[in-house]
Amino acid sequence: MTQQLDLSDIQGNVIKAYGRYNFQKARYLFLRIDDGEKGRKFIGAITTKVTSALPWGKPGDGSAPPIPQATTNVAFTFNGLQALEIPTASQRGFPEDFIMGMAKRKDILGDDGPSDPANWDKVWKEKVHVWISINGQSIDAVKKRYDWIQEQIEASNGGVVLLTGHRGEKGEDSLPYQDASVLYDATGMPVPKEHFGYTDGIGDPVFEGQTNVAARVLGRGKLMRDGTWLPLATGEFLLGHVDEAMEYPKTAPSPWLLAHNGTFMVYRKLHENVGTFNRFLDEQSQIFDGSKEMLAAKFAGRWRDNGAPVVHAPDDVGKAEWDRRYAAADDAGKKKMLTDFTYNEDIHGAKCPFSAHLRRINPRGSLEFGVSNAYDTPGALVNRRRILRRGLPYGEVKDPARDDGNHGIIFMALNADIQRQFEFVQQQWINYANDFKEGNDKEVLLGNHDANNPGKVVLAAEPGSGKPPHFVSNIPRLVETRGGDYFFIPSITALKLIAGGIVDPT
Amino acid sequence: MATKSGNATALTVLSPIKNGILNQVSFADITRERCLRLPIHEKSPLSKVPNTYLARLFILDDVYYESLPANDKVFNFSDITSLFSDSARKKALPRKDHLKSKYLVFSSSFYGDLDEYLRGMWDNWSYVDHEGNQRDVRHIWEYCVAFDRVTDSAGFIHYIKRCQLDASLFFNGSTDDSLQDQLKALYLKQEFTRFAVEHQGKGAAEIQQAFKAFIERAQPENLASPTWPPGKSTP
Repeated sequence: MTQQLDLSDIQGNVIKAYGRYNFQKARYLFLRIDDGEKGRKFIGAITTKVTSALPWGKPGDGSAPPIPQATTNVAFTFNGLQALEIPTASQRGFPEDFIMGMAKRKDILGDDGPSDPANWDKVWKEKVHVWISINGQSIDAVKKRYDWIQEQIEASNGGVVLLTGHRGEKGEDSLPYQDASVLYDATGMPVPKEHFGYTDGIGDPVFEGQTNVAARVLGRGKLMRDGTWLPLATGEFLLGHVDEAMEYPKTAPSPWLLAHNGTFMVYRKLHENVGTFNRFLDEQSQIFDGSKEMLAAKFAGRWRDNGAPVVHAPDDVGKAEWDRRYAAADDAGKKKMLTDFTYNEDIHGAKCPFSAHLRRINPRGSLEFGVSNAYDTPGALVNRRRILRRGLPYGEVKDPARDDGNHGIIFMALNADIQRQFEFVQQQWINYANDFKEGNDKEVLLGNHDANNPGKVVLAAEPGSGKPPHFVSNIPRLVETRGGDYFFIPSITALKLIAGGIVDPT
Repeated sequence: MATKSGNATALTVLSPIKNGILNQVSFADITRERCLRLPIHEKSPLSKVPNTYLARLFILDDVYYESLPANDKVFNFSDITSLFSDSARKKALPRKDHLKSKYLVFSSSFYGDLDEYLRGMWDNWSYVDHEGNQRDVRHIWEYCVAFDRVTDSAGFIHYIKRCQLDASLFFNGSTDDSLQDQLKALYLKQEFTRFAVEHQGKGAAEIQQAFKAFIERAQPENLASPTWPPGKSTP
């Protein structure tokens, strides 16, 4: 029988991207634990409100919980687990990347220059132990849950401190929380966009044990030799399960119950240099054979307006055709058009450039470069580098010509192995391109482009077309890291063990 | 085992280091520190040795070898050793073996002929160490057995060949063209990329003019200059 996940044991944010369930607002809190016993009691109180991954029922459906107004989830840094006094033998089981934390991994992540930890929000100079997220269907629901959490902090009697030091909208630098929100169009309708105008969060990985897999797996699972898609192994995203190598994770804390159904989360506050992006796109489109929107699409691998994949809508004419087909498709057909594609017909990168965001973060079997049966399956080099993406935009762009201010994306990547998955993608595929045969060209949008040694990318031309390739050069740093850390998201069982002080590795 | 692949040669050298101590530090540890403190990139002495693709130096402390129990046709003797006395059992256990001395290992993948390459090492290996002293190749091999008898390039070639091991550790990231050819190609690739980016979209006549100037400046036929300096790692 197929894998059944214990959805009541897994934290909800691991399985659900809350934004898809009309949770438009989020607030992220970071806390320090000053007293182990009081801290554990606090975690016990929070655990009573932690949202599980159980599916939500429709109103009146008694068998499933109704959709709540607000959700709550909890995760810990390594220092946080130490502050909560889990046994030393359990601490030793955690992997090196998680123990070191994000700031110390800056050389791997390319967090240099403006992204250097020295330039992060002040809160990251504090001892961050606990992450608590609130996602709400309204800002009022978020505030209500926030007030409740503050009551629990007060009740901890000095055992737990809410850390301040987040940059805010009005130039503040000492806010006690990070707010995030979907963006809205001119009519006030929520839109799945980020501040550069791209449609975001379309193709998250699908893995075994998730519900309704058959309908969602196209383009989002693992590509098989016969062209079909299968869900990825659960162990790529949840500890205590077998991964794509048919193995349990080589480094996981003991006891089994502490790790089982938990995972690791990378939290990054990514500032978007909107003014620079708009200027750069304007300048570059002057010398580009195609529309400005087409060039923007080549950067991302998707068109900004509706997320049309560039590989199927490679130019302005192709986009118009794609749009006609999209308009005529039913809901299931629309979803398929957005996610079900490979780069098999584009091994030269003439449609979707090798340096486009989408192709870099999920090459979908294209690393075979058209060599038949180069690997066991077309996705063999990709399937162990996938990440679940969570998060929302934050802040507001008040002047699209300016970079300063407080606007970007709260990016959260969930994976079973930070080094193998998130860090590999960031180091080898975002900031380097040897695997794509593109030398050291960085990914256009997220690459840590260096002002002193500005990078370029190549938009290849179709071989035999007689057209020259297009070079996008002098790429500025478009996205800067403003903070973040590595967190462990325990299962709800493990939360209770930690809160109860009964983690027992023997 | 072949030590040549096309025009590329793989050289593996194991030079025994004298067993002994100077000022309370073993010769092996003195040699190790000299290796570890070699300057890198453009300042590496190996960047001055012509035609070096990739080379490395390290100290081989020991090779622990434990022979496997004999495999008899009918049964393994070791399977029944528990029936015998402890001393008999221990005698039947696999033998272990160690090296008699520590070795300085030099492994290099290079273009061309071995004698010429070694002469290049003797003549060109130079660097300023961390204390500001000018050093040549003798500084690294100083405490190797019998190296004190090496006084000239012929002696050095003879010595290294005596220490040569028949092993083929080729550097996969290189063609078998001369280093000058490869460095010039690297330089031209980068310069031409820059040229293409800078002249994108310009008229054919203008590009042709600019290309002539580019060829004049980049001198594709002149391998010596302008080129990418050996050992340099970043622009």
